[in-house]
Amino acid sequence: MSRKPLFSVMMVLVLALVVGAVLPTAAQEKVTITWFVGLGTGTNSEQIAIQEQVVADFNASQSEIELVLNIAASNETSRDTLSTLLAAGTPPDIVGPVGVAGSNSFADQWADVQPLVDAAGFDLSVFDPALVELYRNADGTLGGLPFAVYPAVTYYNTDLFDEAGLEYPPAEFGAPYVLDGEEVPWNYDTVAEIAKILTVDANGNDATSPDFDPAAIEQFGVNFQWARIRLIWTNLQPSSYYDAATNTINVPDEWRAASQWYWDRIWVDNTAPNATYAASEVLQPSAFASGNLGISIVPLWYTCCLDSSVGNFNWNIAPVPASFDGEQNVAMDADTFRIVDASPNKDAAFVVLQYLVNDAAPTLATAYGAFPALPAAQDAWVESISTRYPLDINWSVAGASLAYANPGPLHHETNVPNYTQAYDREFSLLSLIESDSGATIDLNAEIDLFEADVQAIVGAPTE
Amino acid sequence: MSAADQSRAAPASSKAQITERRRSDLARQQRIWGWIFLSPWLIGFTIFTAVPIFVSLIFTFMEFSLSSDAAPRFIGLDNWIKLFNDPVAINALGVTFRFALIAVPVGIILPLAMAALLNSKHLVGKILWRPLYYLPYMVPAISSIFIWQAFLNGQTGWLNRVLRGIGIQEPPNWFQNESTILFAFLLMGVWGIGNSMLTMLATMQGVPTELYEAAEVDGAGAFTKFRSITLPMISPVIFYNLVLSVIGIMQYFVVPYVITRGTGNPNNSAYFFNMHLYKTSFTFFDMGYGSTQAWFIFIIALVLTVVLFGTSRRWVYYASGE
Repeated sequence: MSRKPLFSVMMVLVLALVVGAVLPTAAQEKVTITWFVGLGTGTNSEQIAIQEQVVADFNASQSEIELVLNIAASNETSRDTLSTLLAAGTPPDIVGPVGVAGSNSFADQWADVQPLVDAAGFDLSVFDPALVELYRNADGTLGGLPFAVYPAVTYYNTDLFDEAGLEYPPAEFGAPYVLDGEEVPWNYDTVAEIAKILTVDANGNDATSPDFDPAAIEQFGVNFQWARIRLIWTNLQPSSYYDAATNTINVPDEWRAASQWYWDRIWVDNTAPNATYAASEVLQPSAFASGNLGISIVPLWYTCCLDSSVGNFNWNIAPVPASFDGEQNVAMDADTFRIVDASPNKDAAFVVLQYLVNDAAPTLATAYGAFPALPAAQDAWVESISTRYPLDINWSVAGASLAYANPGPLHHETNVPNYTQAYDREFSLLSLIESDSGATIDLNAEIDLFEADVQAIVGAPTE
Repeated sequence: MSAADQSRAAPASSKAQITERRRSDLARQQRIWGWIFLSPWLIGFTIFTAVPIFVSLIFTFMEFSLSSDAAPRFIGLDNWIKLFNDPVAINALGVTFRFALIAVPVGIILPLAMAALLNSKHLVGKILWRPLYYLPYMVPAISSIFIWQAFLNGQTGWLNRVLRGIGIQEPPNWFQNESTILFAFLLMGVWGIGNSMLTMLATMQGVPTELYEAAEVDGAGAFTKFRSITLPMISPVIFYNLVLSVIGIMQYFVVPYVITRGTGNPNNSAYFFNMHLYKTSFTFFDMGYGSTQAWFIFIIALVLTVVLFGTSRRWVYYASGE
C-alpha cells in the first residue's frame, strides 16, 4: 500500500489541528480586563449607566483589550462579593473606585503600580505631587493613581454665623480669623471659642452664658460629621500610632491631646453633640444638614448629603483650621482604582487604569460626586456641583486643599495588620467618648487600654 | 377442591396478581412523580442549605479568611478552644442569656394576658382592639427600630418628655445606660407580641364552652377556670410560642446592631452573641472562627429546645393524647 494517502491524511490532520489552534487565538486576541465596582461608590442606577458608557467608549477605542464591568449588587454586599471572587480564584483585574479604608480590608491583594508606571512611562507630574504621595505606602510602593479626592474642609452655616454676629471663617489657607474685631489664627483654639457662641439652648442662651442649659441644647457649635477617630486625630494633628518597623502601637501625645480637645467640646463646653443629641430629632437627617450646627469639619464627600439644605439654610466651605503645631495640614479621603495582584494581565489593566484616571475622570468623578485629582477635570466638577447647590460656595477651597494633603504614611486610614479589627476598636473608643459613659471616663486610661487592645490585634512587637 | 374450582381459582389468582402488579406499578410511578415534583426543593435545599451547613462544620476546624489569599488550613480544635477563651464571646453569650431571662417570660406572659383580655366577654370593642394590638407586628423591623430610637431618645424622646412632664427631672437615657438598654430592647419587643397573642387568642376561642359551663356548675371562679381549663387547653400553643421565643432570642441581632451601630455599647452591655458572630464572619472575614460561633449558638439553641421538649410531657396537654 502506498504511503502517500496515509501521509496526505496525516498532513490534513496536522493542518486541521494547527488551524484549530490558531483560529480561536485569533478570535480571542483581545485581552479581557474585568473592572469590579462597588467597594466604594458606583452601584446606583445612574452611575451604572455612566460606567457602562465609559466601558463602551473604551472598548470602541481598543483593538487589544476588552473591558468588562462587574458591578456588585450594592455597596453593602460588595466586600462579600469581592472576597468570594478572590477566594474562588476568579479575581477581577481592576477594583474601584475604592478608598484607603476599603482597600485595607484586602491589603495583600493589590499590585504595586510603580513598576507599571515606569514600564509605561506614565507621567505622574500631571497630578499634584502631594496627591501622588498620598497614594504611596510606607514601604514605597504605589497603591494606585490619583483619581478622586475628598479633602477635609470646614463646612459652616452662614445663617447661624450671621445670627451670632460672627465673621465667617477665612476663605484662604493661612488667612487669619477675625474674632471680636481682632485677627486670630484660624486654628482649633479659635474653633473652640466660636463654637461656644454658636451653641444655643432652648432659652436662647449661648454656651458662654452662665444661664446656658446643657440639657436643652437646640443648636450646636462644631462636630466632625461621621468621622472615625483617626480622622479626628489627624485633623487636629497628623501623626501615626503604628510603627511598621517594630509592629508597635503607640498613641502619640498629640493624639491624646486631640482626644482631650474633642472630649472637652462634648463634655465641658457642650458645644459638640454627644451620641444622644446626635441621634435626637434636633440633628436630623444629620447634624450639619439639620441646619442646627454651626461648623462641621469633614471631608468633601459630605456634600453628597446636603440636598435638604437647599432652600432651608445657607452654607459655605472654608479651609480646615491649622493643626496643633500651627501648620496647615489637610486630611484627605482618596478614591482610586486598584489593580489586583492576582491579575494575569497587569499591563493591560494598567492601560485601563490610565484611561479611568485620565480620559474618563471628568465623567466618572462627576457621576461619583468626587473631586477629580486631575486638574483638567476640576472645572467641570465645580460647574456641576454649583448647579446642584446654587449658594455661591467657595469651591476653590477644595482645589487649594490638595497642596496640603497629608502624605500616605500620615493618612488617617493607613493600614495596620488586621485592619478591620483595629478599625472596629477605634470605632468603639469613639463611641465611648461620645456616649453618656464617656462623660465620666479617665480618657488617658481608656487610650492606654485602646493601645493595648490594638497592639493585641496587630500582634506582638517584632523587636 | 375440585378441578373446576381450581380452574376457576387460577384465573382469579392471576387476576389478583395482575391487579396487584398494576397497583405496584402505579405506586412506583406515583413515587417517581412525587420525587420529580419534590426535586426542585430537594436540589435547592441540598445545594443552598444542607451542603453549606455541612461545609460550615468543616470550617470550624480550619483557619479560613476570605480577605486573605492564604489557602484554608486545618487547625483541629483551635477555633473551639479560642471560643471558650474569648472574653468578648463569653460576655456576648452572657448578654444574650441575661436578655433571654427577661425577654422569654415577658414574650409569653404578656401575649397570654393580652389574649385573655381580648377573649373576655366583658371587653367592649373587641373588633377594634384586636387589629390595633396586632398592627405593630406588621411594621417592618427597621422602621420600628427607628421609631423606637426616636421615642426613647434621652434628650428629645417622647417618653422622657412625658416623664419630665410628670416631675421626673432625670429620666433614664435608655440606649446610653448599661442598666436600661436591655429593658429598652424589651420594650421594643413588646410591639412584636401580636403574632403570639393572635395564636393564643385563636386557641382560647377554640376551647369547648361546655368545660367552662361545667366548671361554673361546680362553682369555679374566673381565675380557677383560667388556670384549670384555659391554660391546659392552650398549653400546646404556649409551648409552641415558648420554643420559637427561645430560638428567636438565640438569633437576636437586628435591634441591638442598629441601635448601637454594631458596637454593643455602652460598655458592651448590648453586645449580643450574634453581633460577635456577624462581626467575626462578615466584617473581619474570619470564616473559620465565625462558623465555630454559629455552630456553638446552634448547639445551645438545640439543647434548650430538646430540654423544653423533655419538660413538655409534664405540662403540655394534647387532647389527642400525643
